Amino acid sequence: MRFLIPLVAVVLFFLETEFALFSPIEWNGQFAYLVPRFLILYLIFLSIYYNRKRAMLYGLIFGLLYDIFYIDIIGLYSFLYPFICFIAGSTVKYIHQHLFVTTTLSLLLVALLEIVLYQFFLLISFTTIPFSEFLNQRLIPTMIANSIYLIMLGWTFKYLIQTRVLQKANQSIL
Amino acid sequence: MPQFFSNKRLILLLVGVIFLVALISFSLRDRQNASLPEQIIKDTVGFGQSLVSKPTHYVTGIFNNVDALLNTYDENKRLKSRLEEFAVLQGEVNDLKIENDKFRDLVDKKEDLKKFNPIQATVIARNPDQWEEKLILDQGTMDGIKVNMAVRTSEGLIGKIVQTTPYTSEVELLTTNNTNYRVSAVVSNKKQVFGLIEGFDEKRNELILKRIDSSLNVKKGDKVMTSGLGGIFPKGILIGEVTKVTTDDFGLTKLAYVKPAANFSMLDHVIIAKRDSINIDGSDGSSTNKDQTNKIKSDTTGDGE
Repeated sequence: MRFLIPLVAVVLFFLETEFALFSPIEWNGQFAYLVPRFLILYLIFLSIYYNRKRAMLYGLIFGLLYDIFYIDIIGLYSFLYPFICFIAGSTVKYIHQHLFVTTTLSLLLVALLEIVLYQFFLLISFTTIPFSEFLNQRLIPTMIANSIYLIMLGWTFKYLIQTRVLQKANQSIL
Repeated sequence: MPQFFSNKRLILLLVGVIFLVALISFSLRDRQNASLPEQIIKDTVGFGQSLVSKPTHYVTGIFNNVDALLNTYDENKRLKSRLEEFAVLQGEVNDLKIENDKFRDLVDKKEDLKKFNPIQATVIARNPDQWEEKLILDQGTMDGIKVNMAVRTSEGLIGKIVQTTPYTSEVELLTTNNTNYRVSAVVSNKKQVFGLIEGFDEKRNELILKRIDSSLNVKKGDKVMTSGLGGIFPKGILIGEVTKVTTDDFGLTKLAYVKPAANFSMLDHVIIAKRDSINIDGSDGSSTNKDQTNKIKSDTTGDGE
């Protein structure tokens, strides 16, 4: 059980790219890019239900791996992942931790991540597409795909993390 | 409520941001070569990735097979109608091949731009955020892969190798936005028409073939192949089909839109083409990152005035 939480993160890290192989999807003559954000959604859940510091540490490690393995710009995801986790963890005091609220918050944060990345790649001119095209081709399809994923698996994450929290509490009593 | 940012934290954050900006600019400058720790991490992650990708490829393979099975009837009907045509074509091709060999013997020419040494590779990952069109393959320098080799599927050209580590390699797809990405191409018409594949039109989802001599005729439906004159790619790999011909911004040369023959989503097995004859770092290679663009840039600004 102790290693289950990082193990799930590793599996999600590898699964992201396998799902990326399906994208882009051609639909009505338009291409829709679906970006899987499984890992960061999991990390957001982790920082809300488990431990902000731990989530930020995982964010840093996986962000660094992401940077080196996929995009060769070190420092981009290794900053953004812990940053998103930090925001998510900071909201704990102010919001109700119902699954519905957490899901909405996670999706909002992922949208934020996508927009920041778009602005960054626009800045270094890796992409030239205007914002409206980004919205239609990338952001909306991505958000739909990720919300389906999160609705399917969000409660599993919550269950998994809460079991771990309970286990930890029991251990400290013993 | 405690103070959101204490002094110590603020300084730490600032130092972190400065460090990150430095790191980003450092890694942006030199993206072609991976340093040793980067290579080690890439190979390790690549190994893990290839473990995960095998079962997923198996599952998607089953789905593809079912899909193919459903289309069998229609496909069979269409193929049967083309079978007679094919026999005639086959005879003609054999005839030409023999003739070609005879002529080659006659002039004592052994090298052929068309010949290449295929290396099979499996796609283990695709850049999930898809801002850059990149694939990661499970073959690296240990298997003889070098930067700038052509990568194709059975359908056509898909891209070229941009970075290698001992056990993995990275492919940049044709659909990239990178302005330094060029492929020397030829339109096979009655006459051979040469041009350069430069850039990708995101609205049309088609490649752009530039610098075609305006006196030559290019029609819709013509096939576009690699010319082998870029110095690195072998000759005769299908790129796509011309869909529209216009003149370029300055009206001096023609510009054609090319619909790629290969399907860029759902890539799993690819072939890396290692050319047999000598490689020269021409327009297919990385020399376009330096001199040529400057020359062209100054040329085009001259034309614009």
